[in-house]
Amino acid sequence: MLRVDINLVFTIINLLVLYLLMKKFLFGPVVAVMEKRKAMIEEQFANAAAAEKNANELKSQYEDTLKTANADADNIIQEAKTTAKTEYDRIVSDANSQAGKIIENAEKTVVSQREKTLRGLESQIAGLAIDTAAKVIGEQAGSLDNAKLYDEFLNKAGDAHDTDIN
Amino acid sequence: MNSLLEELNCETVFTIPVFGGIGVSEAVVVTWIIMAVLVVLCLCLVRNLKVENPGKKQLMLETAVSGLYNFFEEIVGEKGRRYIPYLSTVAIYIGIANLIGLFGFKPPTKALNVTAALAVMSIILVEYSGIHAKGVKGWVKSFVEPSPIIAPINVMELFIKPLSLCMRLFGNVLGAFVIMELLKIVVPLFVPVVFSCYFDIFDGLIQAYVFVFLTGMYIEEAVEEA
Repeated sequence: MLRVDINLVFTIINLLVLYLLMKKFLFGPVVAVMEKRKAMIEEQFANAAAAEKNANELKSQYEDTLKTANADADNIIQEAKTTAKTEYDRIVSDANSQAGKIIENAEKTVVSQREKTLRGLESQIAGLAIDTAAKVIGEQAGSLDNAKLYDEFLNKAGDAHDTDIN
Repeated sequence: MNSLLEELNCETVFTIPVFGGIGVSEAVVVTWIIMAVLVVLCLCLVRNLKVENPGKKQLMLETAVSGLYNFFEEIVGEKGRRYIPYLSTVAIYIGIANLIGLFGFKPPTKALNVTAALAVMSIILVEYSGIHAKGVKGWVKSFVEPSPIIAPINVMELFIKPLSLCMRLFGNVLGAFVIMELLKIVVPLFVPVVFSCYFDIFDGLIQAYVFVFLTGMYIEEAVEEA
C-alpha cells in the first residue's frame, strides 16, 4: 500500500509504453482520419465556392453579351431602315425622272409625228395645187410655149416633193 | 481484520530473480492487464477507418476522441495541443484503473507507487512543456515571475503540485476502498451495491477527471505564460 520502490519505475515505464501504444493505435489513426475528412470537406467547400464564382462570372458575361446583342440588333434594324428609306427614295425619284423622260419622249414623238403629218399634208396639198394649177394653165396656154413654165414648176414642186418623202 | 489488511496491501505477485529479487507488485500486473485490454480494444476499433462514409463504430470512436480533444483543448489551450494524447491516455488509464475494482481486481491507483508515478510523470510533462514553449531561459525566468520574492514558492510548487496530485488520487481511492470493505463487513447485502456506485464509479471517474484536469491546467500555465 504505502510502498514506494522499484514498482514506481515499472509504472512509469508502463505509462510511457501505454502512451506510445495509444498514440500509435488510437489517437494517431483516428485524428489522421478526422483531419483528412476535414481537409476533404474544406476542399469541397473551396471547390463549390470557386464553381459559384465561375458561374457568376459567366452569368455576368452572358448578361453583358445579351445587352450588347440587343444594342447590336437595334443598330442593325436602324441601319436597315435608313438603307431601305434611301433606297426607296432613290427608286421613287428614278421612277419619277424616267416617267418624266418617257412622257417627254412621247410628247416629242407626238410633235414630230404631227409635223410629219402636217408636212405630208402640205406636200399633198401642194401637189393638188400644182395639179389644179397645171390643169388651169394647160387649158389656157398652148402646148410648146408653156412647156418651159411647166418644167420650171415641176422642178420646184419636185424638189419640194422629194424632201417630203424623206 | 486480517483479511482487510491483506486486501489493503498490494502484494508482490512474482519476483524477478535478478539483483537479489525484484518484486513486481500487483498494481503493475493489473496495469499490464489494462494496457493489454486497451491495446486490443484499440486494434479492434481502429481497423478499417474510412474518410468517407464512416460506420457506426467509427463514428462512436471519433465522437469519443474528438470529445477528449475538445475537452482538453479548452484546458491546455492551442499551444498545449500536442500534450492531449498523453492527457487522454492518462485519463483513460486512471478511469479504468479506478473502475477495475468492479471486476474483482485491486485498483492499481490504490497503490502509492502508481499514483506517485503518475504524479512524477505529470510534473515532468509540465516542466517539459514549459521548457518546450519558452526555452530553458524562459523556463528558468518563469520561476521569478511575477516577482522574485515568490521564487521559493515557485520552486516549492515543483514538489507540491505532484505531491498533491499523487496524494489526492491515492487518498480518494484508498479511502473509498477502505469504506467499501468495512461496509461489506457490516452490511453484506444490498447496501454495498448502492455505495459502490458512488465510491467505485462516480468517485473513481471524478478522480480521473480531477487528475488530468489539474495536469492540463499546470501545462496551460507553463505554456501560455510566455
